[in-house]
Amino acid sequence: MNLVFHDIIPYIPQLLSGLAVSLYVTVICMLAGTVLGLFVALCKSSKNVILRFLGNAYIELIRNTPLLVQLYILFFGLGQLGIDISPLWSALIGITINNGAYTAEIFRAGLSSVPKGLHEAGSALGMNKAQIFRHVILAPAFRTAFPALTNQLILLFLFSSVASIISLEELTYQIMNVETQTSRTLEITLIAAVLYYGCSSIFVYLSNAMAKKVFKW
Amino acid sequence: MIQDFSWIHIIPILKGAWLTIQLCFFSLLFGGVIGVILGLGATSKNKLANVLSGLYIRLVRGVPLLVIIFLVYFALPMLDIGINFSKGFSAVLALSVYAGAYMGEIVRGGIQSVPKGQFEAADALGMSYFQKFRHVIVPQALQYIIPPGIGFFIALIKDSSLVSIIGYIDLTKAGKVVSNLTFNPIASFLVVAAVYFVICFGLSKAAYYFERRFLQTNA
Repeated sequence: MNLVFHDIIPYIPQLLSGLAVSLYVTVICMLAGTVLGLFVALCKSSKNVILRFLGNAYIELIRNTPLLVQLYILFFGLGQLGIDISPLWSALIGITINNGAYTAEIFRAGLSSVPKGLHEAGSALGMNKAQIFRHVILAPAFRTAFPALTNQLILLFLFSSVASIISLEELTYQIMNVETQTSRTLEITLIAAVLYYGCSSIFVYLSNAMAKKVFKW
Repeated sequence: MIQDFSWIHIIPILKGAWLTIQLCFFSLLFGGVIGVILGLGATSKNKLANVLSGLYIRLVRGVPLLVIIFLVYFALPMLDIGINFSKGFSAVLALSVYAGAYMGEIVRGGIQSVPKGQFEAADALGMSYFQKFRHVIVPQALQYIIPPGIGFFIALIKDSSLVSIIGYIDLTKAGKVVSNLTFNPIASFLVVAAVYFVICFGLSKAAYYFERRFLQTNA
């Protein structure tokens, strides 16, 4: 067996454009999913029974079904209802909804790790609930949640490859595309592994560097 | 011929669910064996074993499962090593390789959670490597391994949906077939999602009671 890579060289731009789509989906879904997750975590820890039930139901439903099936329901299901949705939008919406359930659990753990004394100190200073949350609770909760969020970002990046199945032209889709055009199966899958591994290593490095800069106290 | 979605179509979906469960069971079994080897390697004093297990765990955890499945199903047969790569075999192999890395990390964490004094005490008693693990380390490490292990098994059941793309008729693929047959993806995939939910949610609830009932007394 010998590996032949030069057939693949003309397809490098195609692979890079796929990588760009993967990174784009990852970043957007992580940002949107973090906001969604924070919101759901707040619902889950609220005193209102209905909000708590809804938060719980959302988290359990999403966390106990596969991402692929969720994307199928969104992509083919909306099509059946007559709503024309592009693979990119299905992926963005589906992965964000999926990611939100996981970040919600991460934030719930982060929020409950904040000592009760901080809440009390906030109200002793005459802050209202929103102010306490914004100025006192959010930062330490975020710091506790940060390592788990980094982990989630990497899982999200790896699982964005699932969107190739609903024909989103991201990295895995382009990999399969180049595979059919060149028949260099082993080589191209190895390149895919290297690209994914390299990017997730960069993510780990960046987020460690960011944690050092941001969480100084 | 287009059929209307009806109760008859639940049968192939349930058959797919049974295949998914079998697939995940065997993958967890083989993945668990790989994981134990990696966990022992990562915690051993041998430098080479350390580096190799660390490399395996980091590499596999840094690559999407989809790429692992492609590598096993499409690329490995190109090596011409004379193994028959049926869909079922590829699916179990890919999921085992994948599960091995995550189980390895869980086992490593479990072994490292056992206080160092326990290792030293076993050594002081003149126990052999095997005796030390059999009588001292494993009973204590299990309480740190079983809960995340069950959590990973549940994740594996969901992740195994990806083997549907190489044509293995698991739960997701069965749903796809029914959806193509009935032109009713909403009903088909909602049923599929419901079956996944029942399996995963049931398993996590069962694990929760199991842990509360048995594992705490061990601590």
